[in-house]
Amino acid sequence: MADFSKRPVVIGLEVHIQLSTDTKLFCSCPTDYIGKEPNSNTCPICLAVPGTLPLLNDRAVALGSRMGLGLHGEIQHYSNFHRKNYFYPDLAKAYQITQYGLTISVGGYLDIESEGGAKRVRVHHLHLEEDAGKLVHPTADGRLTGAAYSLVDYNRGGVPLSEIVSEPDMSSPAEARDYVVRLRQLARYLDVSDGEMESGSLRVDANISLSNPDGSYGTRVEIKNMNSLKSLERALMYEISRQNKVLDSGGRIIQETRLWDDAEEVTRSMRNKETASDYRYYPEMDLAPIVITDDQIDKFRRSMPELPWEKRERFADCFGLSKEETSILTEQKELARYYEDVVSNGAPPSRAANWVRMEVLRSLNEHGLRDIRDFKVRPELLAELVKRVEAREISSTAAKEVLDLLASGEPDLGEAIKRVGAPAGRVTGDDLSALADRILSENPDVADAIRSGQDKKGGKVKFLQGLVMKETKGQADPKEASEVLSRKLGF
Amino acid sequence: MKMTVDREVTLRMAKAAQLRIAPDQIDHMMDSINDILDFCALVGDLDCTGTPDFSWKMKKLPSRRPDAPSDWCDRDEFKASAPAMDGNFFRVPKINAEE
Repeated sequence: MADFSKRPVVIGLEVHIQLSTDTKLFCSCPTDYIGKEPNSNTCPICLAVPGTLPLLNDRAVALGSRMGLGLHGEIQHYSNFHRKNYFYPDLAKAYQITQYGLTISVGGYLDIESEGGAKRVRVHHLHLEEDAGKLVHPTADGRLTGAAYSLVDYNRGGVPLSEIVSEPDMSSPAEARDYVVRLRQLARYLDVSDGEMESGSLRVDANISLSNPDGSYGTRVEIKNMNSLKSLERALMYEISRQNKVLDSGGRIIQETRLWDDAEEVTRSMRNKETASDYRYYPEMDLAPIVITDDQIDKFRRSMPELPWEKRERFADCFGLSKEETSILTEQKELARYYEDVVSNGAPPSRAANWVRMEVLRSLNEHGLRDIRDFKVRPELLAELVKRVEAREISSTAAKEVLDLLASGEPDLGEAIKRVGAPAGRVTGDDLSALADRILSENPDVADAIRSGQDKKGGKVKFLQGLVMKETKGQADPKEASEVLSRKLGF
Repeated sequence: MKMTVDREVTLRMAKAAQLRIAPDQIDHMMDSINDILDFCALVGDLDCTGTPDFSWKMKKLPSRRPDAPSDWCDRDEFKASAPAMDGNFFRVPKINAEE
């Protein structure tokens, strides 16, 4: 377990988000590379054939601006591209086209939750750049060691990325995780990216250091290769422990890039950290600067949807929901829309919130569904079910079984209720009395024990009451059932 | 302003470019780079007053394109011209950046 008390932890993140364009950043090759044959989404431009020229994708500019606005950044009227030189074959040109210095969005922030409450993480800037291709090493374990050569697939090369660089404002792995969760949520709300870490649509590099005794920043280490939120947290935890151990033993931290090894749960030194001068940035003369007018910025701003934190606030104000409820219901905008549709179809907001966040999410999980749009129980059907529970026409217990049938494909609510066998309406009066008689006659030993005073703690009456509730699928009032049983047992 | 590189910077540049450089080649490479920098300084000193720049070309070219996929090239032709292929992959020398 990492010790946070020894030296304050300072974390800054660089998050790469693949933009949801149909084509690459500088050519018209498709971006849907997953599962495609190697190098099938390539052309002379992304393969860097001499004489070809890049041409900027207009939608990438729009999506980058949208994300910048979502982060409260300032969209720049003028920005440009640079060449970032590095000798590695995952980019055919031997340089990456990226923004450096003059970027599309500057500043901004993202509010996260920390152990001490709400916290604001400042964003340094957002810039656009092209993704790299993928290298495959033809060895048994897929590692470079032992390989005689490497293989390259450039399908991903040139896919547009927005890189969001935070200020070093996070002080624990949990905060870093929450920052990424909220950034991903924002990207999804804005339809900027699907933000899937597992498939590589969202990738995180972390810079972490431990503060010096005088409070100044320590030497920072960059960590790469974290493919999930869990990996991110574990890698940071490991690194805090490692750096503390090095410093405790009188050593010093080397500025370097380290790779997270998910299997071994360690970070390993990859290379000494490059500085900007190592990349020899220089302006990309083959591309015109990005000029964005005030009118365009206004248009981007007007097209912004309701953002997660705005939705949370509205749900609390309009529906009277708790912080926890709004947090869960707005986690995905599709789920929030589903909930609102249930409410607009007449279900009481509070009852609907319980059903969606408890039963619907449980059912989605059981059916292995990640997207509420694939859920077979449409909002109007759930609203009708919730209304019947509210009217006490069906018990909550029976309604949950009904929901399961609907989620499994039963399209008709009446039929589902019939199949569950829940009585239509409450079981009371003569019906309840007759049922109590039957249960007592089927359990004579229990009834006799109660009558002869062997139920001091009341457990046996409760047992009979449970049988009544089970038989009625929860359609009897527990208090009334208990009274009827007691009367029949003679006390 | 005239710039120069020394042996240390020369070695760092060679490392960044993944070039192996023998000790007896360092001075020669350093001198060559300094010759290039001298030439850049010479060009930088030119009086360009009144000379139109190249930016007019940019103004005439489209600066962005719509996000519409197209499939206009013969990929087999490119693959055939690649130095080495392995199936549909391009085959390249291994680079030790990860080691």
